[in-house]
Amino acid sequence: MARIELVNLSKSFGAVAAVKNVDLAIEDGEFVVLVGPSGCGKTTTLRMVAGFEDPSGGEIRIDGRVVNDLEPRDRGLGMVFQTHALFPHKTVRQNVEFGLRMKNMPPAARAARVAEVAELVRITHLLDKMPSQCSGGESQRVALARTLVTHPSTFLLDEPLSSLDAKLRRELRAECDRLHQTLKRTFIYVTHDQEEAMTLADRIVVMRAGEVVQIGSPMEIYSDPVNSFVADFFGSPSMNLLSGEIAQDGGLPRFRAGRIELALPERFKAAKPGAATLGIRPEHVGLGRDGKGDVELPVRLVEPLGRDTLLYFDAGSERAFVAVSEGLAMADVSVGAPIRLSFDPRRLYVFGTDGRRIFGGAG
Amino acid sequence: MAMTKSQRRRIAAVVRYGVLSLWALVAFFPIYWMVSTSFKPDNQWFSWPPVYFPDPPTLSNYLNVWFGAGQYDVTQYAISSQKPLVSLWNSTVIATTSTFLSVLFGSLLAYGVSRYRILSEARMFQLLMLRMIPPIVVVAPLSLYYSALGLLDSRTGLILVYFLTTLPYAVWMTKSFIDEVPREVEQAAEILGASRWRTVFEIVLPLIRSGLVATFLFILILTWSEYLLALIITKTQVTTLPIELSKYQGTTEGRVYGRQAALAVGITIPLMIVGLIIRKHLARGFSFGMVRR
Amino acid sequence: MPVASPSLPSPASGGGSADVLPPSRRAVSRTRAVRQFKLTLLLPLIALFAFVLVPVLLLQLYFSFHQWTVYLGSWWDAEFVGFDMFESVFTDARFGWAVLRSLAFATGSTLGCFVCGFALAYLMHKPFRGHALYYIVFILPMLTVPVVVSYTAEMMLYRNGPVNGIISALTGLDFQVSWLTDPNIALVTVALLEIWNWTPFTFIILLAGLAAIPKEPIEAAEILGASNWRIFWEVQVPLLRPVIMLALVLRFLEAMAEFPKTWALFQGGPGSATETLPVYIFMTTWQYFEISKGAAMSYVVMLLMIAIVLVAIHLLRREKRSLDTMYAQEAAEG
Repeated sequence: MARIELVNLSKSFGAVAAVKNVDLAIEDGEFVVLVGPSGCGKTTTLRMVAGFEDPSGGEIRIDGRVVNDLEPRDRGLGMVFQTHALFPHKTVRQNVEFGLRMKNMPPAARAARVAEVAELVRITHLLDKMPSQCSGGESQRVALARTLVTHPSTFLLDEPLSSLDAKLRRELRAECDRLHQTLKRTFIYVTHDQEEAMTLADRIVVMRAGEVVQIGSPMEIYSDPVNSFVADFFGSPSMNLLSGEIAQDGGLPRFRAGRIELALPERFKAAKPGAATLGIRPEHVGLGRDGKGDVELPVRLVEPLGRDTLLYFDAGSERAFVAVSEGLAMADVSVGAPIRLSFDPRRLYVFGTDGRRIFGGAG
Repeated sequence: MAMTKSQRRRIAAVVRYGVLSLWALVAFFPIYWMVSTSFKPDNQWFSWPPVYFPDPPTLSNYLNVWFGAGQYDVTQYAISSQKPLVSLWNSTVIATTSTFLSVLFGSLLAYGVSRYRILSEARMFQLLMLRMIPPIVVVAPLSLYYSALGLLDSRTGLILVYFLTTLPYAVWMTKSFIDEVPREVEQAAEILGASRWRTVFEIVLPLIRSGLVATFLFILILTWSEYLLALIITKTQVTTLPIELSKYQGTTEGRVYGRQAALAVGITIPLMIVGLIIRKHLARGFSFGMVRR
Repeated sequence: MPVASPSLPSPASGGGSADVLPPSRRAVSRTRAVRQFKLTLLLPLIALFAFVLVPVLLLQLYFSFHQWTVYLGSWWDAEFVGFDMFESVFTDARFGWAVLRSLAFATGSTLGCFVCGFALAYLMHKPFRGHALYYIVFILPMLTVPVVVSYTAEMMLYRNGPVNGIISALTGLDFQVSWLTDPNIALVTVALLEIWNWTPFTFIILLAGLAAIPKEPIEAAEILGASNWRIFWEVQVPLLRPVIMLALVLRFLEAMAEFPKTWALFQGGPGSATETLPVYIFMTTWQYFEISKGAAMSYVVMLLMIAIVLVAIHLLRREKRSLDTMYAQEAAEG
C-alpha cells in the first residue's frame, strides 16, 4: 500500500512562493499527472515528495506517516529524471544494479533481478554498453529499468519525455502506460504537455502559479474546466475564448463580441448582463455552406491537415476563431468567403471576468 | 585609403609575428642560457665575450652536482655528494603529499560549497585572499610555534603548512569542475539508496577525474617551487630543492655557474614538463569565476 | 508480470516476502543528516585554522606587545611594552622607504605584466599558424622556480654578460648597464624579472577572457562599420573587465609579497636599494633578531594587506556579479 497525501504543502524560495497550499490525496496504484505551464510549481512539488526539497509548510504523508524529515532513500520511492541522469562512468548493467547494491543484495540475486527487469523494458542487449553509446530513447528506458529494479511502491517521473523527439515521445509514453498497467503501482508524473496528461492520467492535477487549479479525470478536465485557464490549456487546437458582453434583450440573454452575436441557450437564462467570456472548442463548431447556423464569419486562413481541416475566421479581434472540419471537405474554401457557423449549445461555456466558469459543462 | 582585406591581413601578420617572436625570444632566452650554461666547461661560465653555445658541451656539471663526481678546484668546495638527490627526494615527498591532502580535502570542501553552500561567496573570496597575505608576516611566530611542537625542520611541518596555503586554490579549482556535474545524477544515486559520502566518492569525484588531475598538477607546481616557508622551517635535517640551490649558491660564493645551472635545470625541468602537460587547464585554474564557461 | 508492492520500510521491520527488499538501515532524520554532513566537510578547514593559523596569529600579536629577543630564553619572560614596538615601526624611516619601494615595485611590475600580457593575448586570440608553439613558449617563464629565475639572472646580467651583449648587438649601441651592481637600477632589475616571470599569468587569463567573448556582437559591430579600434574599446574591453580586474588585483597582491627573487639576487642591496617590505621584515627578524619589532611590523603590514584585500574582494565580487547577470540574461533568452 502506498497512499500519498500532500497536506497544505507550501514551498518558498526566499520571497518567491513556488508552491502554495497544495492539498492532494493519491491512492495506491493511481496514475496522477501534475500538469501546468513552466514555473507553476509542479516540479517543486514532485521534488518535495521525493525529498530533495524541504517543504516550507505542510506535510507529506506516505501511508499515513509524515515523511517530511525522511531521506529520499528511506521513502520507498523511485524517480526518473528529465535528463535520464544515468551514471556516465558506469556500464548500463552497473547503472541498473546500483540500487540493489545499495541495499546489499548479494551478486547472484542482483544479476537475476537485473536480467528480469532488462527483459521487461527490452534493454537486455544494452547491458554491457556505456550510457554514451545509448540513444535518447534507450537511455530513458535504462533509467526506467534502474528505478524498476528496486521495486519502489511509487514512481516519480519528472518530465521524462521532454528531451525526446516526437516519435520517441509517443513510443515511451506507451511504455509508461504499459508499465503502469503491468505493475499496478502509483505513478506521479509531471509534464507541461497537456496531451501527455490527457492520455496517461487516471487523474490530472492542474497547477498554475504554485496553486492547484483543478483536480479531476481527463474527461472532467476537458468537459468541465473550472476556469478559462484550464479550458484554454487543454485541447488542441485550444478552445475559442471570445471576450465580450452579455446583454439582456427582453427574455433571453444574448452574447456579443466583435462580429459575433448570438442568443444563449435556455440553461443560461440566469446570466447577468456585463462583461463575460464565451468559450467553445473548435471541434464543436459546426460548419455549413448551406446557410444554416448562428453566426456568419469570413474565412481568414484554411489549413488542410489531412485528417482534419482547420479554418481560421475573423471574429473582429486579434485572435482568430478556429473551427475544425473532418476530412478535406472544407479544404477548398477561399479566403474571405463567409461561412455560417453553428455552435452546439451543449458545448458552450461562459466565463466571468475573473476567469471562473459561470455556466456550461456538467452544470 | 581603404585597405583590402588581404593587405590588411598581411600587415597584421607581420606585426603579429614580429611582436610575438620578439617576446618569444625574451621568454625563452633565460631558459636557454640556463640550460646551455649547465653544459659549459668551467672556463666558459662567465667569459667575455659571452659564449652562447657550449664548446664543447660537457656533462661534468651534472655529474658533479647530482652525483658528486669530482671537486671544483678554485674554491675547493665540493658539495656533499648526495645532497641534491636527498633534497630531490624531500621535495618529491613533501610536494606530492601536501598536494594530495590539499586536493582531497579541497574537493570535499568544494563539493560542500557547490551543493550545500557551506561557505558563502564572500567567504570563498576571503579564503582566496587569505592566500594573498604575504607569508612573511607569519613566518617568525610560525617557526617558534613549530619548534614548540617539534615540527621544525621536519617534513611533516612543511607538508602541513603547504596544505594550509594551497587549500584555497584547491577549493576554487575543483569547485568549477564539480559545478559542471549535473545534480540529477547525484539525486538519482541518492534516491537509489546511496549515502552522501558514497555519492561523493563513487559518483561525483570519478566524473571529474581529469579536473582533479589538473588541479593536482597545478598545486604541485606551487608547492615544488615554494621558497620562503621552506627556508624558515627547514634547517639541517630537511631541505627542499629550492633551498638546496640557495645553499649551494651561498656556500660556493655564487660563481660556480655551470654547476648551479645543472642544479637549476634539475629543479626546473620536471616543473616545466608538468606545466606543459596541463597547459589546457591553466586558464581554468586562474579564472576564479571571472571568465564565462 | 505482477510484482508485489513493498511496504514502506519501518525501523523495526525485518524481511517480508521474497520480493520485498528489507530496509538496509534505520531511517534517519534528514535535517540532522544534512547538518552532520556539512559539519564534517568543514571540519578539516576549521581544524587547520584553529590549530595552525590562529595560534600563529595570536603568537604574533603577543610578540608585538612584548619585548623579546632570542637571548631571553623562554617566551613568557618577555616584558610588556605596550605600543612601543608599533611606535618604533612608525618612526622608522627605513620602514617607510620599504613601504614605498614595495608599492612602487608592485605597481610597476603589475602594469608591466598587464600590458605585456594583454598585448600577447590580443595578438594570440585569433588562431593562426604556429599559434600552439608560441603558446608553449610563452607559458614557460611561469613554470620556472622563482629562485632559479634570480640565479639565472645573475648568470646573465653581469656587466659583460649575454643580455647586455645581445641588446648591444640589436641596437648597435654599446649597452653596458650594471643590472646587478647599480643601486639606482637594482629595483628595476627585480621588477623586470618579475615581469618576465609572471607575464604568462596575465597572458593566460586575459587570453581566456578574450576567447570567452561571444563572436556575434563583434561580427555585428564589424558589419555595422566599426573599426577594430572601436570594437576593442566598446565591445571587448567592457566584457573583459572582470578578468582585467582579476589579473591586476592578484598580480598586485602577489607582487607586494614577493620575496625569493629579491632576496636571492640582492639580499636587500646594493645598500638598501631593494629593501622591499618582505625583505625588510625578514632582515629585522632573522638578521637583526629584533623579533618584537619584526612582529609589530608584520602586523602593520598584515593590516595594510587586509585593507587592500578587502577592497580587492569588493571589486572582484562586483565584477563577478556583473558577469553573472550578463550571462544569466543570455541563458534565459537562449
